Amino acid sequence: MNDLLTPLQAFLFEHGVEPLFQWLGLQAYVENAYDAVYLVLLGLIEVILLIAIFRPLEAWRPVEEWASRRAVGLDVLYTLLHRLGFIPLVLFFLLWPITYSLDRTLRLHGFMPLSLEDIWPELYNHIWLSFIIYLLIIDFMGYWIHRFQHRLEWWWALHGLHHSQRQMSYWTDDRNHLLDDLLTAAIFSVFALVMGVPPSQLVIPMMLTRMVQSLAHSNINIRFGSLGERLLVSPYFHRLHHGIGIGSESGELSCNFAILFPIWDILFGTAKFNEPLQATGIRDQLSGRSYGEGFWVQQWLGLKRLGRALQGLKA
Amino acid sequence: MRKLFFILLLSFCAPLTYAEVTVVLNSGDGTISLVDRHTYQPIKHFYVGKEPHHLMSLPDNSALIVADAVSNDLVFLNPTTGEIEKRIARISDPYQIGFSPDKKWFVANSLRLDRVDIYRATDFSLVARIPLSSMPSHLAFNQDSSMVFITLQGSHQLAAIDLKTQKVAWIIPVGNTPAGIIMTPDNQHLLIGVMGDNGINVVDWRQARIIKHIATGVGAHNFMPLGDQHHILISNRGADTISLIDTQTLSLTHTFPVPGGPDDMEVSEDSKELWVTCRWLREVRVINLTNDQVTHVIPVGRSPHGLFFISHAGRQ
Repeated sequence: MNDLLTPLQAFLFEHGVEPLFQWLGLQAYVENAYDAVYLVLLGLIEVILLIAIFRPLEAWRPVEEWASRRAVGLDVLYTLLHRLGFIPLVLFFLLWPITYSLDRTLRLHGFMPLSLEDIWPELYNHIWLSFIIYLLIIDFMGYWIHRFQHRLEWWWALHGLHHSQRQMSYWTDDRNHLLDDLLTAAIFSVFALVMGVPPSQLVIPMMLTRMVQSLAHSNINIRFGSLGERLLVSPYFHRLHHGIGIGSESGELSCNFAILFPIWDILFGTAKFNEPLQATGIRDQLSGRSYGEGFWVQQWLGLKRLGRALQGLKA
Repeated sequence: MRKLFFILLLSFCAPLTYAEVTVVLNSGDGTISLVDRHTYQPIKHFYVGKEPHHLMSLPDNSALIVADAVSNDLVFLNPTTGEIEKRIARISDPYQIGFSPDKKWFVANSLRLDRVDIYRATDFSLVARIPLSSMPSHLAFNQDSSMVFITLQGSHQLAAIDLKTQKVAWIIPVGNTPAGIIMTPDNQHLLIGVMGDNGINVVDWRQARIIKHIATGVGAHNFMPLGDQHHILISNRGADTISLIDTQTLSLTHTFPVPGGPDDMEVSEDSKELWVTCRWLREVRVINLTNDQVTHVIPVGRSPHGLFFISHAGRQ
């Protein structure tokens, strides 16, 4: 893949991004810009693969038959904003001053975070093992973040946007409130300060994990078998989480919070595997509550729900 | 027959060794590419740590040190074979590194966290941690090791640190986005590769002032002496060229093209061959300096940055 990407990345960088950065007087950041071009291209490939693989599967074996896919359109926008790097870039610029100041101040006072490799240097010789351990830790954190997104009324006020999609498809994974994205990114940034970051060499495995998350949201009627359902989050497992009356509601009713590995739900008693599927969405949508149909309306309504929750009212 | 069998067995079991390797740091994917210095064939590619950017040999050439900025460690390699020998952990965010000529100090710039750390070179114990304004990038020493000079890429300055007191002696504006820095062989001037000003600013370090600008090309970036105590090469990363500078007249001798964002360089000890990392193309190019022609293009990893081979030209 690099043989294909490198000339394209170099061309786009040298004929577009680098001259632009020079013109703006931002030469100090050209190396970051070069890396960003790579990530955007990978995101583009990811989106093409999503369409090429999951769209035919949704047409072949849908869980739900839809007369129109119009409601899916906005989720496409969310996905493009995420996977092509726009939202991650905004989040980076918002969080960077904070993480930078924290890291710099701590180190000037002699404190240096302890990374996984400091604890177990042998990981330098086993990059795949290092990747898997980081992935498990990140997924474990993802599980608990997700549980709190449902358990805390104010966080559910934001996270509800993700669950308000009643035509859930492989595009739904990135449909989130921006403040919800910011909070999650902030938690992972603090984690990165303390425990280090996974090796950046394994780009394709990282891409595959994101595609698994898209698959989990897809409208594809497939199951991974008794063992497989317990090893990797399947579309069925995650659709149960999004089902009205099964997994979407705030509080004790919710289930199946895992992002990649259901082991966390099994260990902490929140796994459901064989319930019948329900329509996706949030219960109050059945009585007419709107979560908005446009990007900015959805973001605004999320903030209004948050305001109510912070006043102690039901979001 | 049995003897022949054992000889064959041993030959298969023995580790492959090469007379000399070129070590290439791939900052983007945290790996090292080893290239046979004489056949130009890639030998090996292995993980070293998170964001290795720069490397330099110990003063006695007994080891090559790789600075892993995000892993917070220094990795010691055999300078001839490229094999990892040991790792010193808990060295905070080392980006660009250097030993003072008197072998007393080891200086590490933290580009990301705006800081310079001074270590005792004998045991790598921290002596001073000096916060600076923005993005300490490259460094150079004067010949008596009393000062270290640091380019500040983000705040467009040059800082001088007194190594005896470990205090900042002075800071001056030095042009838009300074990067590479090198002392001229006569110890009179500092040459600063100023990326945003497309050339070199020459600084009289005793007077702490710029005395001359030498236009070389867009994104003037990093230096490497030719080894004749007279000429120095500079890579112009944006212009995709390399320029040769006469350090006695402080003037441009000539410029030749090298595509793909030429960055760090290494010159053979006979000064006839140049190896250069082409940052944007995942390549190292080898150039015959007698006619400026590219003789070899060697594929390496993502964002190749520092490179080294032990039979290099003198550093002046």
